Amino acid sequence: MLAARVLGVLGVLFVLSIIVFAMMYLAPGDIVKNLLGNRPANPDVVAAVREQYRLDDPVVVQYLTWLKGFVTGDFGESIRLQVPVAQAIGDRIAITAALCGLAFLVSVIVAVPLGVRSAVKAGGWVDRAGNALSILGLSAPTFAIGLVLLYLFAYYVPIFPVYGGGDGGLDTLRHLVLPAVTLALGLGAIIVKLTRTAMLRELESDYVTFARSRGLGERMVRRIALRNAAIPIVTGASLVLTFLVGGTVLAETTYALPGIGTLLQDSVLFKDIAVVQSLTLLVAVVIAVIALLADLAYLLLDPRVSRTLGARA
Amino acid sequence: MTVLLEGLTVIGPAGTMVEPVSAEIAPGATLALIGESGSGKTLTAKSIVGLLPRGFRATGSVTVAGQALPVERPGDDAAWRRARGRSVSLLLQDPFTSLTPVHRCGDQIAWTVEAAQGHRLPRGARRAAVEERLAEVNLPARVADAFPHELSGGMRQRVAIAAALASDPQLLIADEPTTALDASNQAEILDLLRRIQLERRLSVILISHDLGVVRGRTDQVLVMRGGQVVERGATAAVLAAPEHPYTRALIEADPVVAARSGARIAAEEAAPSEVEPLLVCEGVTKAFGVRTVLDQVDLAVAPGAIVGIVGESGSGKSTLARCIAGLEREDAGSIVLAGSALAPGRGSRTPDQMQIVFQDPYSSLNPMMSIGAILSEALGVAGRASSEVPGLLEMVGLPAEFARKRPAELSGGQRQRVAIARALAPEPRLLICDESVSALDVSVQADILALLARLREEIGIAILFISHDLAVVRMIADSVTVMWDGRVVESGPCHEVLEQPAHEYTRLLVAAATRENAVPVEGKD
Amino acid sequence: MSDIRIIGAAPATRRRRRVPVGVAIALGVLALVVLAAAFGNLLFDEAMRQDVLSSTLPPGSPAHPFGTDELGRDVLQMAVAGTASALVGPVVVAIGSMLLGVILGTLAGYEKGWLDTLIGRWTDLLLAVPVLLAAIVVSGVMGGGYWVTVALLVVLFSPSDIRIVRAGVLEQSARPYIEAAQMLSLSRWRVMFRHILPNVTSLVVTNMMLNVAFALVAFSSLSFLGVGVAPGTADWGRQLTDGRAIMFQNPAAVFLPALLIVVVAVCVNLVGDWIGQRLSQVGEEVR
Repeated sequence: MLAARVLGVLGVLFVLSIIVFAMMYLAPGDIVKNLLGNRPANPDVVAAVREQYRLDDPVVVQYLTWLKGFVTGDFGESIRLQVPVAQAIGDRIAITAALCGLAFLVSVIVAVPLGVRSAVKAGGWVDRAGNALSILGLSAPTFAIGLVLLYLFAYYVPIFPVYGGGDGGLDTLRHLVLPAVTLALGLGAIIVKLTRTAMLRELESDYVTFARSRGLGERMVRRIALRNAAIPIVTGASLVLTFLVGGTVLAETTYALPGIGTLLQDSVLFKDIAVVQSLTLLVAVVIAVIALLADLAYLLLDPRVSRTLGARA
Repeated sequence: MTVLLEGLTVIGPAGTMVEPVSAEIAPGATLALIGESGSGKTLTAKSIVGLLPRGFRATGSVTVAGQALPVERPGDDAAWRRARGRSVSLLLQDPFTSLTPVHRCGDQIAWTVEAAQGHRLPRGARRAAVEERLAEVNLPARVADAFPHELSGGMRQRVAIAAALASDPQLLIADEPTTALDASNQAEILDLLRRIQLERRLSVILISHDLGVVRGRTDQVLVMRGGQVVERGATAAVLAAPEHPYTRALIEADPVVAARSGARIAAEEAAPSEVEPLLVCEGVTKAFGVRTVLDQVDLAVAPGAIVGIVGESGSGKSTLARCIAGLEREDAGSIVLAGSALAPGRGSRTPDQMQIVFQDPYSSLNPMMSIGAILSEALGVAGRASSEVPGLLEMVGLPAEFARKRPAELSGGQRQRVAIARALAPEPRLLICDESVSALDVSVQADILALLARLREEIGIAILFISHDLAVVRMIADSVTVMWDGRVVESGPCHEVLEQPAHEYTRLLVAAATRENAVPVEGKD
Repeated sequence: MSDIRIIGAAPATRRRRRVPVGVAIALGVLALVVLAAAFGNLLFDEAMRQDVLSSTLPPGSPAHPFGTDELGRDVLQMAVAGTASALVGPVVVAIGSMLLGVILGTLAGYEKGWLDTLIGRWTDLLLAVPVLLAAIVVSGVMGGGYWVTVALLVVLFSPSDIRIVRAGVLEQSARPYIEAAQMLSLSRWRVMFRHILPNVTSLVVTNMMLNVAFALVAFSSLSFLGVGVAPGTADWGRQLTDGRAIMFQNPAAVFLPALLIVVVAVCVNLVGDWIGQRLSQVGEEVR
């Protein structure tokens, strides 16, 4: 089953790579001009670009050359930044990774216990507050939350920096607090909802009644239920992931963080095709890998699935 | 050590759900609570362990060995923690859902031990405690490392019993402990419970809808109906000479009683041998993947006959029915109806050949359609007009105004009548009843069986009646086919097969159906 | 004995018969927003939009209660003018992806086989791409404008509809009432659309309402990033982006459109949840 999943993911990535490659042709305007950007279009440079992208060869050869470049780490040249795409991405990936990691950590630490508590005391004030918060978190666009926080904590009560990524170390961390909280609100809303729904269902099940009737403590009962709820929660991870990608772009733009998100946005607006292509495909690869990891976690969490898997293998 | 219930009352959001119940249970004795669904027996049980659903509360008192249980404070976890497990434990109906699927069986037993002792055990002692509890329910030590899904239903229920008793309670409440199990497992589990109870001098409240479970295994009985105790007394006395009309009706409707007395709902008709059979199945074989579920099955149904197929879950009886109906495709063999061979699948079949009535009355009617719309559609298929809906309803014993109702407004028995009416609308030659009465209360079961018998008399329809319950089949079928592991092990006229079973498996089923192997309680029964 | 599960929606803690206060307010707000989208422009003098002041005013003046933006346009009027663009796109996206979902999901769930596999691969493919990322990249690189973005979001939103409908159809088609319909040799279209579909309506409608909210957020996010809506268009996301430059002179230029987006999204969510709960109760048992 896992092998089939891996093959499926490879298939999806293959189709995506074709679509991403085709982007070069879908962009309005002359391909060479798009690839040149605002460099002067003298015949030598044009010839060099045609040579680099093999524009005179059949499309299949162009695609394979491009794909080979992508796989070997040669992502081409950014026409906007005038540096190799790999370098442009490398310079910015740390801050985005830190932002996502921080936001994910904060949201899980807050949202899972909140979701559990909402389910345990369903209808209580924690539940109602959590519910209101999660509806708000799901409905408010990341940038709206970001702008409110920015106004409040960077302007009205200036305890955090307004814009930028800081000078590294603790200063960067300080710069990341507001963006991370912004992102964590949306993420947390999804996780609270997932956790609450899963826990509510588990707490209604017979094994919880049976455990209570045998005198097991409420903490133990909750632990057992959460262990069972972990399966649907992890399965819902894909939702969180897609949100995280979009949210990161918005959060970085709102706070002008020099990360992957702003790189993508600027490149899109500038029609810096090489960067856009590389980033899109990279994100797809990362998502595919994480989705596979979630599948693996699912296998570890559910003995029923692992056993049928073992039987089939 | 005695258990005392005094004026135990359950109050729900819509008022009193269970009128005051009082009883006394001696150590080692069993009190039976019997009644059909909605009688309040499960609410009573839940109130004793303080696990009533949200919105329900209880009044009155329950004393176990001199210690009062906090029954009037259902939400008070602190008060209940001392009582649950050590004083009272609850065993639930379905072993498939009462154990958590992602934890090993050994851990689930150990939790109870640790909860009762108030601290965690070191590894060795934990393991030893678990193995001791498993041995008590006749399970090998290796079960401790198994996950519930790796065990059969009967083994799971043993694990659940071990877990429920691992805190050494004085009172065990067993809520329909064998209803979800196959007949051959039921007796074993009941006997196991009985043995442990006698060894431990444990008081037991046994809740059941099934008089057969109660007979011979309990000392006192409370008969409940609509939240009220309508009759009480020593089990043997109540069963032998019921005073309340409801108890009498229950006993009369009980298939086991009927089976013992040989009473039948339908007149038994010997199939005239010279008549050509309506349905002939020969060598029907079907596999799901590598598992063969039907292996060379032969079956014949004469016109106007009621043929029973008996077997436990997994015996292939439902798959056979579904192959005949075309809902499954057989891999090999022939199915011939009224002289013409039917190809596998629904494609070649027409509604006037055969219809099915399914088991679950709650999901066999489209919840978004009115009864009238459901029946009109079925009539329309055979080119009959919607104006025949009232007649159809009348035929199954329902008033014509039911056409305007939706399925949600009907009881289980009424829904099953509608399902039968829908099946009759295209005027089929053969009616297949796949466990059609299994999900119903006993008294309703009897009504539906009587309806089926009447329909056979009135319109001469042939019925293929599939059930796991031999006692029910015995009441209605002319001939019976016993299936086991995908094969027919025995078939013949009903009375012959059931009175002189030739096959060992049939003997086991017959014994389970008449509860003849029940351990008598100190010679009272 | 057998308890009937409520299809779809999370287990309701309480059964409600009357319209809850929150939902009533949400319905009121949505009605107001729809009215504003249709007739809002009548309230204002068209000339005010091209106000010649050309300077940013803070909120509070009687003529401009929410102040003016960087071009001196009235913030409130711009917000009202942006209502139509904020509503039309998301509603079209939600309905479009719902239709795709119902058709493809029902086919996949009921017909199974190769069609199911094909549709399954298609949704796998789309789900592997984050909606916002794909929308940014495609509308950004291709240009296009509002309706291209709408079409794109219909396609990108459809996999969740397809999956939900498919799962609902699969669940329903295993039920005896569907097999009973098959026993009557009803046509597959009749079984699919007369028997199964009404029973997954609550799932479909709930998801559609959620999609309206998500699409509203997605549209405004795209405008915020400068994609999808041409500069100068009356649109909440656009207004907000442009307002960022003068956020510290007139915070209302940012917060009024932001608040409107959040309020409308919250209201749609509330109403959607409530409709889902109500619909799933139809035909369910009161036991």
